[in-house]
Amino acid sequence: MSGRWLAGKAGAAMLTLIFVIIFNFFLFRVMGDPTTQLARLPNSSPEEIAKLRADYGIDKPLAGQFLDYAGDTVRLDFGVSQRSRETVWSEIKAALPWTLLLVGTGTLLATLIGSWMGVVAATRRGQKTDDGLLGFSLLTYAAPEYWIGIILILVFAVAIAILPAGQQVTPGVEFSSWISEALSVAEHMILPVTAMTLMLLGQYFLIMRSSMVDVLTEDFITVKRAIGLSHERVIRRHAVPNALLPLVTLSAIQFGAIVGGAITIETVFSWPGLGELSFNAINDKDFPVLEGTFLVFSAGVILANLAADILYFFLDPRVQAR
Amino acid sequence: MRLRGVGTIVAVVLAGLAAALVALPAAAQDSTESTDTATTTGGDTDTSVLRIGWAQDPQTLNPFVALDEEDFNVWSMNWDLLVNFSTEDLSPAPGIAESWEISDDRKTITFKLDPNRKWSDGEPITSKDVKYSLETLGGEGDVFSGYTSNITKIETPDDQTVVITTKKPDARIVGGLFIYIIPEHVYGEVPIDELTGSYQPDLPLVGSGPYEVTEFNRGRIVRMERNPEWQGPEPGFDEIQYIKYGNQDAVERALRLGEVDMVVEVDPSTFERIQEDPNIEALSSPSPSYTQLAFNLCPEKLCPDAEFNPAVQDVSVRQAIAYAVDRDRVNAISARGTAFPGSGILPSFYEAFYEVPEQNYPLDPELAKQILDDAGWVDNGEDPRTKDGEELSFDLAVRSESPTNIQAAKLVAEMAGEVGIEFNVQVVSVDKLTEQTVRKVDGKPAPEFDTFIWGWGGDPYDPSFLLSLLTTDEIGSLSDGFYSNPEYDALYTEQAGIFDTAERKDLIKEMVALTQDDVAYVVLTEDPNLQAYRTDRISGIEPSCPAGKGDLICEQVSYQPLLAIEPASGSSSSSDDDGGSAGVLIGIAAVVLIGGALFVWRSRRRKSDEPLEMEE
Repeated sequence: MSGRWLAGKAGAAMLTLIFVIIFNFFLFRVMGDPTTQLARLPNSSPEEIAKLRADYGIDKPLAGQFLDYAGDTVRLDFGVSQRSRETVWSEIKAALPWTLLLVGTGTLLATLIGSWMGVVAATRRGQKTDDGLLGFSLLTYAAPEYWIGIILILVFAVAIAILPAGQQVTPGVEFSSWISEALSVAEHMILPVTAMTLMLLGQYFLIMRSSMVDVLTEDFITVKRAIGLSHERVIRRHAVPNALLPLVTLSAIQFGAIVGGAITIETVFSWPGLGELSFNAINDKDFPVLEGTFLVFSAGVILANLAADILYFFLDPRVQAR
Repeated sequence: MRLRGVGTIVAVVLAGLAAALVALPAAAQDSTESTDTATTTGGDTDTSVLRIGWAQDPQTLNPFVALDEEDFNVWSMNWDLLVNFSTEDLSPAPGIAESWEISDDRKTITFKLDPNRKWSDGEPITSKDVKYSLETLGGEGDVFSGYTSNITKIETPDDQTVVITTKKPDARIVGGLFIYIIPEHVYGEVPIDELTGSYQPDLPLVGSGPYEVTEFNRGRIVRMERNPEWQGPEPGFDEIQYIKYGNQDAVERALRLGEVDMVVEVDPSTFERIQEDPNIEALSSPSPSYTQLAFNLCPEKLCPDAEFNPAVQDVSVRQAIAYAVDRDRVNAISARGTAFPGSGILPSFYEAFYEVPEQNYPLDPELAKQILDDAGWVDNGEDPRTKDGEELSFDLAVRSESPTNIQAAKLVAEMAGEVGIEFNVQVVSVDKLTEQTVRKVDGKPAPEFDTFIWGWGGDPYDPSFLLSLLTTDEIGSLSDGFYSNPEYDALYTEQAGIFDTAERKDLIKEMVALTQDDVAYVVLTEDPNLQAYRTDRISGIEPSCPAGKGDLICEQVSYQPLLAIEPASGSSSSSDDDGGSAGVLIGIAAVVLIGGALFVWRSRRRKSDEPLEMEE
């Protein structure tokens, strides 16, 4: 029973991914004949254009093109960047760890801080602390992340110049060891990670707070109090674990938003991740790179959702019982 | 979930992290010091480094496919041309060729090479390399084709002699052959499909200039070190680093903080402000490029399907526009005074050929009105002037990516409006504007615009490229104004074959005069190179190319000026930024440590006053 449920979820994810791959194929063909972009001089001769079309395989019928494309995609061969002339996969491989580092740290911090704030606010419902935390998180939730980023740069990199405004390491420095390089990266991470955290914080806070408020009004909490457990213990051992469940779903659903945020935050901070890669690819009309990053982002969202489903399966007994 | 367990783990991790952070800044200090010694100047054993910051870096150094302007910064120090440019006045100077001789019919030029020169890998530089470069790079290189169209034959009777024969005399063969001479023994080994594909050259980038690229880390750094086989004067710096920053703001901040010594592309909007620093000197110098107001001039027989307001082809209308537009004001407002007001189609940068045109359209709105009145364009108060139902109302397209051009377009519209000519400014994408100008119907050009503002950039020294843009031959190719004047075409062909500067200058003067009378373009501004450097780091800078009023290092054109500059005495090009960062990290570590300690302490305390526990 439960195995079938899991298989169903995995199958649905697989189908979505296949749909994305098909959609991706047509999306980038709708944008027009790539040779008009490739033939930079407007007056390339017909022979040159024919050669380009042959090189890129777009002289074949659509079905043939699609088969080529599907095969290449499965082999992670997304073609060659028109700008850097390196394979798209190697560009993505170089950028992916930076995005994971930024997004991972940001999400981790946002979850920890956001849910902690949610617990604090829920246990002090209606008090000044609650109002303050609510106001703060609504502000950071509502503010566009690039705006937060620019404000952070203005304050911490310009007004009081104590932190670097962008990039992943100090440009032009030769590092004597990986430790000093890692330190430089840590220093450069502070502002973008802060922006990322602030962007995500609000949602975690709001969900955790309302979820905690619900749990705290349940009968079993009153019972736990009645048997003499301290307030702290009731909160930590009994209320929080139950309130955490919605957070898991949120983390997964949030992944799409995180990807969007990563693009703007990485651009604002010149962080060399997938976001900046896509942004530059848009500017340069580097369609192969764009196609690749698009696919990676979509796959990320789909996998994150699948992961949440699976995690939920183990966390929430009600799912298994179904 | 056992939250208490989680709490303890978090506390331990935090404490560990804090300890690590406290311990590590010491390591960071070490690295800073080693960086310092690597870059400190003065001592004989130390490496002196010239650090140049930029916001855009090359994507690939492969000369066959690279398109970025930044590549030329690097290539021009790594490679020579067959004939280089003099830093004095940009006239022809020895490059790979030591000397040359022009035959009487001016169609055969014999170049002599220095038998002792070597590539940076020790191989001799021979005529074979020249032949290979001109034929292969000149034929296949995206940014190098177009220079060799006149060449019929390249012969190499011996290793030190190259004989180039052309269809008709072509002055560009000396002084305008902008094709780098690259080593055949390196590139000739690679199939052409690969060279024009995803080939990435091996490093060090074998070259003939004073420096060669030894590291290319895209997005971070291009490092150039001295060419071991270099025989010219010893360069002042051991190493040049091009350092990539995230954006223009970051580059300029790095200059102010002393992280870099020079910036080769300052933004017009910050040009004024950056000079406030007493240690920074900023320089605006002329460049071979301009920003023009272009008109759709395509004659009916060449472009039967062109779409535009025909009033734009009335020469008196264009003359009125030329008189009505205050080019000084365009420069002062749109370029913030950093550019130079335009004066015809030949930028003053081309010193050897430039002369202020006799008809230079000084600002004169009254005369503009008079011209329009005389041509029968009636002023009826508020609306644009009209004649037989036609209106003086033009669309003015401008690229969305250029705030400077948009500003210029608004100014043109405002000033032309004063004399009764209406311009509707339309901000469009580059693609859209390109599409409008290169549109074709039935294989014939069919431009679909009235006017637009865009720019062109030419070659150093030889003005033929810029002049060619207005020839009839370029219609359907590079011509964007579709100007066609047989007299101009004849003069163009003639001047292109004349090697004598004075004689050529006279012909070019006539060409400029023709386009001024016809108002083929209204050249609004001549665009500048905006550069800045730290006077406490670099000494010996003499503006060159041309001497006295050119740019700091003759960027992208000649490596000669770089040989003359050197580290300023007493300068230490160390980056003192890391000290600050160590401080910040210590601060963070302290916060984390205290936080972790509090966490542990509170957990402990809670445990001690735990009530009697009932397991659930």
